[in-house]
Amino acid sequence: MTEKEIILSVESLSISVKKHKIIKNLSISFYKNKVTAIMGPSGCGKTTLIRSLNRMHDLDKSFRVKGSILFEDQNLMKIDPILVRQQIGMVFQRPNPFPTMSIYDNVLAGYILNGIKLTTDEKDEIVHSCLKKVGLYSEVEDNIHRKGSHLSGGQQQRLCIARALAMNPHVLLLDEPTSALDPKATTRIEDLINELKHEVSIIMVTHNIEQASRVSDYTAFLYLGDLVEYDTTETIFTVPKDKRTEEYLSRKYG
Amino acid sequence: MSTQTREKLNQRLLINKIFYKLIEFLSFSLLIPLGLILFYIIKNGIAYLNLDFFLNMPAPVGETGGGAFNAIIGSFMIVGLAGLIAIPLGILIGIFLGEFKDHKMNNLTRIAIETLQGIPSIIYGIVAYVWFVLPFGNFSAFSASFALALMMLPMVAKATEETIVMIPYTLKEASYALGANYYTTIIKVILPSCMKGISSGVLIGISRILGETAPLLFTAFGNAFLNFNMGKPMNALPLLIYNYASSPYQEWQQIAWAASLFLIIIVLGLSIIAKNVIK
Repeated sequence: MTEKEIILSVESLSISVKKHKIIKNLSISFYKNKVTAIMGPSGCGKTTLIRSLNRMHDLDKSFRVKGSILFEDQNLMKIDPILVRQQIGMVFQRPNPFPTMSIYDNVLAGYILNGIKLTTDEKDEIVHSCLKKVGLYSEVEDNIHRKGSHLSGGQQQRLCIARALAMNPHVLLLDEPTSALDPKATTRIEDLINELKHEVSIIMVTHNIEQASRVSDYTAFLYLGDLVEYDTTETIFTVPKDKRTEEYLSRKYG
Repeated sequence: MSTQTREKLNQRLLINKIFYKLIEFLSFSLLIPLGLILFYIIKNGIAYLNLDFFLNMPAPVGETGGGAFNAIIGSFMIVGLAGLIAIPLGILIGIFLGEFKDHKMNNLTRIAIETLQGIPSIIYGIVAYVWFVLPFGNFSAFSASFALALMMLPMVAKATEETIVMIPYTLKEASYALGANYYTTIIKVILPSCMKGISSGVLIGISRILGETAPLLFTAFGNAFLNFNMGKPMNALPLLIYNYASSPYQEWQQIAWAASLFLIIIVLGLSIIAKNVIK
């Protein structure tokens, strides 16, 4: 594969919480405009890894993070987390739209919270294009200035994706984005991920093996804080090199 | 089932029934004093709670048609300033209590707030008297506001803390993930989500201090005239009730009844609003 260009590269990353090592000296490179799935059994450090990419661990003082994360010639570990998070968006397990803001303001939340002033035209443009990207525009068109709390779980999650996209991030982190959703809403989000990869590089954590095989181009398999195997999804799912990957994929443990 | 077990079962069911009825009876009997107070105040006050009461100044002894205009204005001004002090301060303390659980001052602040809540209201009056009335050399409305603000502070702080700890952490994460800093997360995400809880605490606090008399005796003191100067003695509804109800003049006592009714209506109204705001 010649077209693969590295967008984010993690070098010898170690994360520990109160002397308990969660990620052990891990290095991995993520590719531009690809969907990379991070997979592994519970407690393997998937979520811990993805949350280190936008410095969410800075919020909890018990986390110790070492190593470097290179992104466009800058080391993300060395710059202000606020700047990191404006370039790397994140969507969480449970949909968490801001309950006091309208759907419209939710999409613009990144601008509102960072005190970035926009004209009404710019706002309309951002809101409309982002809601269209996530396929929510026609569904909420008439209630766009109402609170988002009456939306279904799937719609709320798509609103959260729109909110992250509004900031024009280079990388979008998805932390088990469909684990709280029903199958129909899950399919919707998976289709969306496929459409979005043309404009943003996506790194997602998933518990769901089928989901990884359906939506991702690359798959990383983590086991007890180590990167066991990392390759194209096709290779991982057809000819896994490591026995642990093979056993996980055949559901010997989960 | 043998007769013995059946008897035992019937006995237990009977005790259960008595227990239930007892709770019911005792709870309803609580309505009697409240009902009597309301009935008595309405009966005595309703006839004098007229336009004169709201628009006229107190009349000299012997004249009819006097009102409580200066006391109503005074009460709103004193309580208003108390609110302006207690609400922002109480919210900030509440944020501190709810957000900085590991801070070494957190426990001390909590103890201070809880102690403030338990101090008898007359003590606040004496404190304000010593701190503001004595140094300035005269009774003043703002010293009353200070005493009332101290009383209201714990209620606002507690309401803020209790609401803020209920806000799911995921909401904060969502804000941080968009690049927001702590300050904007609190101001634009957390506090708006706490609005209902905080405003209910504020309303209950206001209804509490609106009827306080003891702190006012040493501070606002009372005034027979209309006064808008916070640095001078000012009349207030509880002071008017206190002075007029203990006077021997029938006209004044009637004004005191009307003022009591007016206060009760506001306090009841505020607590009903506070309850509904939560939902």
